[in-house]
Amino acid sequence: MIEIIDLCKQFSGKTVVDHVNLNIENGEFLSLLGPNGAGKTTLINMMTTLLLPDAGKILIDGEEVSREKKSVKKKLSIISQEYSLRNDFTVLDIMEQHGRLYNIPKAKRREKTAEVLELCGLSEAKNKTVRQLSGGMKRKLMLCRALITEPEYLILDEPTVGLDPMSRRQIWSVLYKLNEKGMTILLTTHYIEEAQYLSKKVALINKGKIKTVASPDELIRSIGNFTVDIFHDGEIDSHHFMGKEDALAYIAQAKGRTTLRETNLEDVFIAFAGKGMTDGHKDSTLGKVD
Amino acid sequence: MGIRTALWEKWIDFKYSWGRITASAVISPLLYLIAFGFGLGSYADVDARPYIEFLVPGIIALSSMNTGYSSVAMTLNTQRLYEHSFDQIMISPTPLWQYIIGQAIGGALRGLYISVIVLILSFIFGVTLHLNMMFFAVIIINGMVFSSLGVLAAIIAKTHMDVSRFSTFVITPMTFLCNTFFSLDKLPAVLKTIISLLPLSCTSSILRSISYGEPFKAIELFVLIIYLAVFLGAAYLYTLKKKKI
Repeated sequence: MIEIIDLCKQFSGKTVVDHVNLNIENGEFLSLLGPNGAGKTTLINMMTTLLLPDAGKILIDGEEVSREKKSVKKKLSIISQEYSLRNDFTVLDIMEQHGRLYNIPKAKRREKTAEVLELCGLSEAKNKTVRQLSGGMKRKLMLCRALITEPEYLILDEPTVGLDPMSRRQIWSVLYKLNEKGMTILLTTHYIEEAQYLSKKVALINKGKIKTVASPDELIRSIGNFTVDIFHDGEIDSHHFMGKEDALAYIAQAKGRTTLRETNLEDVFIAFAGKGMTDGHKDSTLGKVD
Repeated sequence: MGIRTALWEKWIDFKYSWGRITASAVISPLLYLIAFGFGLGSYADVDARPYIEFLVPGIIALSSMNTGYSSVAMTLNTQRLYEHSFDQIMISPTPLWQYIIGQAIGGALRGLYISVIVLILSFIFGVTLHLNMMFFAVIIINGMVFSSLGVLAAIIAKTHMDVSRFSTFVITPMTFLCNTFFSLDKLPAVLKTIISLLPLSCTSSILRSISYGEPFKAIELFVLIIYLAVFLGAAYLYTLKKKKI
């Protein structure tokens, strides 16, 4: 279990992570959603010890995360936003290097490398240099590299950014299988459907603070199960309703082109990011609930 | 484990581009040998010996310095600032001090490789030197000193240009001043004292003494080891401090 307790971080006097408290249970798939600059990457960098917190602590299985604790570091794997790969190394070199950094015995390194490259569909590219790989293949390689250490906790910072839909879904499929097998996963993403498809829980973060933590269904219910979009003057105005009848009644008296649909996590994100999160509304004001 | 991992990385770097590495590292020493050794040097003797015999140990010292420094500083800086692959090393359970020592040894071995090529070229040109194990040990220590400095430069530098600037202001002056191309005896006393305490001066002096078949000054080896300890320590502390930019 990962416990983040009262974690704070400032840069040049600006608070980036503000008294964050968050628990991630074993086997959970939690997505951290928030607008740019919300503090997601800073939070993740503190979990990986790339940054040290100004206050608070992070516990993994009850043990505090620190730069010196090998036992804790071995449990974690991270996939960062940047490619973070040596361009002149081959796929096999990248895997070999990572296995060595985590002190995995030679035979195990070879076995795990073959296994995870197969899992991610990279076996045929094993002798290509990173420079020769497409963006999608580089992302898959980062996933393979993270998995060679057999981590208990996998942390992914925007792992599918810039990927085509096919590659993104391939990575989703692998993450889904890993979580099904019991791996605890923390994901930050801008792709809302990614969070909705994969997560058991979603934490909304803005201005360094966790606004709410709930399952995607609970979050959707919190703003209303149905959404009416009204198009006028080139803008979309969304209204959320608990019941379909209420939504239909609203459409009957609305002016302009309207559509009725089921609310999704993107509506929740926009409700938070566009209204409650950026305009300083109360946390409970999640968009327009009619 | 960290030392072996760093050495393995250096080996992979070398394996993929040994031709380019060798050609680029040998060209300067070769030009120095021809221009200064056989060109200008043919008109002068130093220490009652042909100038080329004075010059070769200096060129070997500066070759191991340049190769050690650049092989670590450039690669590590690229990994840290552009590829971001250095983050993976920092978050891994591998102790950083081990990885830094591995980088220093790797850079030193690269320096030894180039030094041996310079030695072979010298023999081809008819230069005779006394060689022993200590000669090669000093080349390795010198390479480690400047590879550690390379780690430090790579970690401190905010851009790739900073690494080049560091080389311009630190490595290049040492190349020409530190007992490599001329004897320090002719310098003013204060300047001679300052320059003779620099690491490359010590290396040149020790290598020259050994190549002449004479005993070297133990204090110079001690100074070199002090530099190594200081640069390794500073590289480790700065890396810890800089864990995330």
